Amino acid sequence: MHEHVVETRNLSKRYGDFVALDNLSIHVDRGQILGFIGPNGAGKTTTIKILVGLSRPTSGSAFIGGVNCSEKASQIKRLVGYMPDRFGSYDNMRVHEYLDFFGAIFGLKRSVRRKRIADVMELTDTTYMQDKFVESLSHGMQQRVGIARTLLHNPEVLILDEPANGLDPKARIDMRQLLLRLASEGKTLIVTSHILPELARICDTVAIVSGGKVRAFGPLDEVMRSLCPLRSYEVQLANPEQLDPAAAILTKRLQASEPITLSRAERVIRFPTVRSEDELAHLLQGLIAEDILVSQFREVASDLEDAFLSVSAGSPGHA
Amino acid sequence: MFISENPILRRELFSRLRSPKTFLAISSVAVVSSLLVLLRWPTDASIDLMSQGALQVFRPLAFALATGLMMLIPAFPATALVSERRRGTLALLLNSPTTPFQIYLGKFAGNVILAFIIFSVSLPALAACYAMGGISFVDHLGPLLLVLLGMAIQYTAVGLWISVIVNSADASLRWTYAAVLTLSFLSLGPTIFVGKLSGIQSLLAHWATAISPISALQSITGSQAQASEIGIATGWSEFLVASCVITLVLSMITLIKLDPRLVERARPTGKVIGRKATTTPFYGWFRRVSFLVDPQRAKGNIPWWLNPIMVKEFRTRKFGRLHWLIRLISICGVSSLMLTFVAATGTVSWGVDRIAPTMVLLQVALLLLLGPCLGANLIASEVESGGWQLLRASPVSPIRILTGKLMSTFWTLMLMLLATLPGYVVMGYIQPALSGQVGNVVVSLVIAIFMVTTISACVSGFCRTTAVATATSYAVLLALFAGTLLIWVARGKPFGPLLVERALQLNPAAAALAEMKTPGFEQYRLIPDCWYLCLGISFVCLAILSIRVWRMTRPD
Repeated sequence: MHEHVVETRNLSKRYGDFVALDNLSIHVDRGQILGFIGPNGAGKTTTIKILVGLSRPTSGSAFIGGVNCSEKASQIKRLVGYMPDRFGSYDNMRVHEYLDFFGAIFGLKRSVRRKRIADVMELTDTTYMQDKFVESLSHGMQQRVGIARTLLHNPEVLILDEPANGLDPKARIDMRQLLLRLASEGKTLIVTSHILPELARICDTVAIVSGGKVRAFGPLDEVMRSLCPLRSYEVQLANPEQLDPAAAILTKRLQASEPITLSRAERVIRFPTVRSEDELAHLLQGLIAEDILVSQFREVASDLEDAFLSVSAGSPGHA
Repeated sequence: MFISENPILRRELFSRLRSPKTFLAISSVAVVSSLLVLLRWPTDASIDLMSQGALQVFRPLAFALATGLMMLIPAFPATALVSERRRGTLALLLNSPTTPFQIYLGKFAGNVILAFIIFSVSLPALAACYAMGGISFVDHLGPLLLVLLGMAIQYTAVGLWISVIVNSADASLRWTYAAVLTLSFLSLGPTIFVGKLSGIQSLLAHWATAISPISALQSITGSQAQASEIGIATGWSEFLVASCVITLVLSMITLIKLDPRLVERARPTGKVIGRKATTTPFYGWFRRVSFLVDPQRAKGNIPWWLNPIMVKEFRTRKFGRLHWLIRLISICGVSSLMLTFVAATGTVSWGVDRIAPTMVLLQVALLLLLGPCLGANLIASEVESGGWQLLRASPVSPIRILTGKLMSTFWTLMLMLLATLPGYVVMGYIQPALSGQVGNVVVSLVIAIFMVTTISACVSGFCRTTAVATATSYAVLLALFAGTLLIWVARGKPFGPLLVERALQLNPAAAALAEMKTPGFEQYRLIPDCWYLCLGISFVCLAILSIRVWRMTRPD
């Protein structure tokens, strides 16, 4: 039987009458990056807290490396590197001292700790800031130090809550590369983020949660196909005066479920469709046959934001 | 813009009034002032024209109100500006059409009005004193209210000034309480020299005394005879003048500092010199020794035999860094030796009997100044910074967290006590008969340290912010140490000897003073009952704190 590195089985958590998690079941394999997505209050942080042993489920179970998260919390803490959304800085403490402190509370021996700190600082590119006070670092630098801290005890699984939050574009690219590098080294990552295009670039698997329930879970492509079955196409014309005749032709050939929208400034006509490639080829041929000068006919790829919106629009409590 | 329309004033005042802490402060003042009157209310329907009965209530009531004001009022302005700056809202205010003067005025007036509201609940008690007869509005009640108002504006100005120059709320609270204690008590120091000084020095000493509300309160409550015995010759009007001058000067400095360009300060990034990898072994060793007190020296890795939580606590607090600890300990050591030298050489006609209580009082003052701040930081600052979540996610046990944190405070305070031991040793050498008493004094002070540590840490465990934890710790410990001495001040009138002795048994500093036969404490036998009681309180706090830490580290 295939052993998942991280697995939750029918995980539920209730606070009185409020259901924070409702039968949540997900799993992640070694070296994979799971994008954990959901609106505020969806249950992401509750799930993470259960996984890192900071919270107990009302029912169901969670496992990391085969170890039950609620029954063997102390063992779990050594298997997981957890970076919460708040950095947790200390005044008057330098980066090296900060990492040394966390190495010490994870029980790393002094000689091991010294080498490990050097290694993680090199991996996260933080060596140059080792003598700076942690509270004086920029947000991006602190996020890097936060990841260095989670890596100190060489955990199998990294759980990062909003690692790209508040980062500038350059820092985001650096963060993305770092996460991909960690995954390539065999680490299993669970990453939450509100910046969905960022997640889409690094995740193998996504779980979209809303109202405590898993709305979609699986490989990114499958989730996209299941949540966004309508593909969006756009036709760009060379001559703006042909926009109305072209729209009339398309309206005649398309169905009511495939409404067209015009963008005169862009000289573009857009429409959603489930038609096959052959049918679309005929559609293009029809336009050309009517002497419409088509400069581009292309599919606009749906992204994770579309998938997220399609899920959250249907979830309870969504305005 | 009328002051009543000042948005800062309205926000400050209403947000403070909505707070449960303000309700608690108002209730405490009402209960204490009512109890004091109730204790001395005449049972027969007669008016005491000689004013003795009314004065016996009025005197402790006046001192209780002043102590309450010292404990409660500085906490609000001390966090007013620094908290806004930390949250980033001060920059928003300064970049709005509101002028710095309006911001300052709003904060200042908000705090003074709040002080007035809190202490207005004592007006019925003061009116009851008046009704008892022998107390006049012109000579007693009016001056007392003016002195309380003077204290409120002076401490508000001090708190706001410190709040604008420091970087954290707890540092602001620490320095504000230090300043208030200095203004109220240490300013009385020069009085002992007034009789011997002349000219400008005498004038300066006289006005230094006028800064303290103690001299003003003594003149209002009719204790001039006791006051003049120790050289105090200032009245309440001089205190009001001194208060107004201090308030004006500090307000102007604060307004100058309340500038958008000065508020946005660059954070120190830190640099280290002498990292071992970049130096030769001998040079590295040389720097390590010679830069023992260099704040920029690179720290080594935490050794296995030290609790990492304790090391972290030392490293993250300003006074915990070695260079600060050494300075602090040196000051304690030198001060105690100087005092002992004064006793040995007979300067100012003081003997061991006067030096020892002075040393005890100075040590307790330092303990009360630093202890609550260190202890209150332990849990609350960790929760506030988000570090607690990281500790919970690590495999470190609650016992290790607790011992590491408590030891970091206990050892700091113990080091200060140990630094003064040479002074006590010399004292024992001067008067060998005192050796046993000195031993008991040291034990009492160790117990005081344990008590301060556990109580403030316990308070810290139940607060979400460092500022609240620090202010609450100061209030609780000052109530315990200064409050019991206040009961002692009113011994016999209205408090009976048994009640005074019971109250003093809660105060290890009083036990130390009684052991040294300090004037006024000779008749009390507080040891060992005081030790057992204080240790009992400390262990109860420790037990509560242990349960709290255990609960806080458990999964939710």
